[in-house]
Amino acid sequence: MKHSIMVIDDEKIVGDMARLSLEQDGFEVETFLSGEPALARLQHKRFDVVVTDLKMRGIDGMEVLRTVRSLYPETKVIMITAFANLDTAIEALRGDVHDFFPKPIKIRELKASIRRAIGADVAAT
Amino acid sequence: MKIERKIILSNAVNLGLILLIGVFALQNLNRVLTKLRFVEIADDLNASFLEMRLSEKNYILFHDEATLTDMQAQISRTRQTIDSARQDIVRAVGEDNLSMLIGQIEKYSNTIHDVQASGGQDVALKLRLRMHGKELKEFSESLVRIERARVNDIIASSKRVLFYSFWVLFLLAILVSHFISQRILLSLRAIERLTRSIAEGKFHRIEGPVDDDEVGSVTTAINSMSDELKSREEELIQSKKLASLGILTAGVAHELTNPLNNISMIAQNYLELYDNLDREKRLEFMQQVDDETKRIGEIVRNLLDFSRPKDADLQSADINETIRKALQIMQNSLHLANIDSKLSLDPLPPVRFDVHQILQVLVNLILNATQAMQPGGTLSITTTVAKDGKTVRIYVRDTGSGIPPEFIPHIFDPFFSTKGVGGTGLGLSVSYGIIKNHGGAIRAESTVGRGTTFIIELPVYGKEET
Repeated sequence: MKHSIMVIDDEKIVGDMARLSLEQDGFEVETFLSGEPALARLQHKRFDVVVTDLKMRGIDGMEVLRTVRSLYPETKVIMITAFANLDTAIEALRGDVHDFFPKPIKIRELKASIRRAIGADVAAT
Repeated sequence: MKIERKIILSNAVNLGLILLIGVFALQNLNRVLTKLRFVEIADDLNASFLEMRLSEKNYILFHDEATLTDMQAQISRTRQTIDSARQDIVRAVGEDNLSMLIGQIEKYSNTIHDVQASGGQDVALKLRLRMHGKELKEFSESLVRIERARVNDIIASSKRVLFYSFWVLFLLAILVSHFISQRILLSLRAIERLTRSIAEGKFHRIEGPVDDDEVGSVTTAINSMSDELKSREEELIQSKKLASLGILTAGVAHELTNPLNNISMIAQNYLELYDNLDREKRLEFMQQVDDETKRIGEIVRNLLDFSRPKDADLQSADINETIRKALQIMQNSLHLANIDSKLSLDPLPPVRFDVHQILQVLVNLILNATQAMQPGGTLSITTTVAKDGKTVRIYVRDTGSGIPPEFIPHIFDPFFSTKGVGGTGLGLSVSYGIIKNHGGAIRAESTVGRGTTFIIELPVYGKEET
């Protein structure tokens, strides 16, 4: 069974590039441009990993994190943000995220983090 | 001199004048009383003299010796009356007149004596008796007449003096209170003007010499308050500048990070997956890189506009015409977003402005309004002249989602945006800079759920405030 990844970022290119790279590695990827449709989708489908932007208009990354925590405690959340300062990092870590990536994102590191989140023993394909 | 002291002094002067007038009136009253007392005594004496003359007449007609004795008795009673009222009489008519009167009485008495001694046979003596009697009565009557006239004079002059004193006091009171209230009112008006200009953010001072009184203390206090506010405002502006520098830096970082990240991710995939990408995909990637680079260029350009506002090229032009032009530029966007537009443009006095910059502001406001509204919304632009005729007002109103009150103070801050992606947060701050450069003002009024109105004020040419 393929592992499913949800990517939420209001920058379309982030989702597109993450999808392209992750699909090459055999992941199943769904992308969203804002929090609202992503939360709606989460009501119907469990994802193995949710990668979300922190600062978004409307429902932001912290709210996505809280919802995922309450619906699927085992799902890992990776936070990305353009604000690379310490405050947001501390805030994100306090919220118990799996990992935290400041932009610009190293796709290779992101994928490594996703693999760790799913479990080192699980093959990506 | 303190106003309080001035009031006390003027009251003291008034009181002194009133006392003086009182003393004068009292003195006149005493004089009148003295004269009246004399007139009373003189009336008694006159009555006695009249009786003597009747007796005298009886003697001459009937030669009755007893009447002469009666007359002597009457004379001695009169002497007693004069003696007992001597003080009052002297005070009223003076020592000379009294001794003349006594002399007359003496002469009359002596003549009666002579007539008695002659046994009534001497005709010349009888004539002398009649003459002296007449003289005595006339003298006494003339004294009374003169004193009555004097009483009238005193009363009339008292009346006159009291009348003039009243007017002098009245005018003095009016002049003093007018002078003092005028002094206070003038200062109050200066203070009122100053506080009004402080409310408008202009920290002037009350010029001219400051008097050493209560109003002067207030003026000094207000002046020092104005100075203090001015220096506080300068500090505030300085700290605001520092704060916006911080916001600017954070904003630039955030704004630039997103397109940089996009380029970086495209590049990483391009390198990693080059062999797996078809020609179309590679071209699409490079197109995206180009777009993101343009986005960075746009941000940098806006930033430069913000940090170094170009000098406005002010020219007298028609604001309404510029509004029509802005609407024309945005017509397509409005049409696509299904937004109605309404114009209500009053004829306006001449305004000097940089057409290109104001156009930029208007396009920016129309764009914001369009983005804030759902399809079917209405954009209305209205122009009017302020009541005082000094400013032209432009209202750009939308029926959009509105701005929450807590955001209103920040909407003109650089990089403040509620739009998420697609808003640099520079449009309104650049607009703010442009309008300020024109000596105008821009502000927003908003009700969440009902819409927002941006109000631009520009000074009418020739009526700019310095």
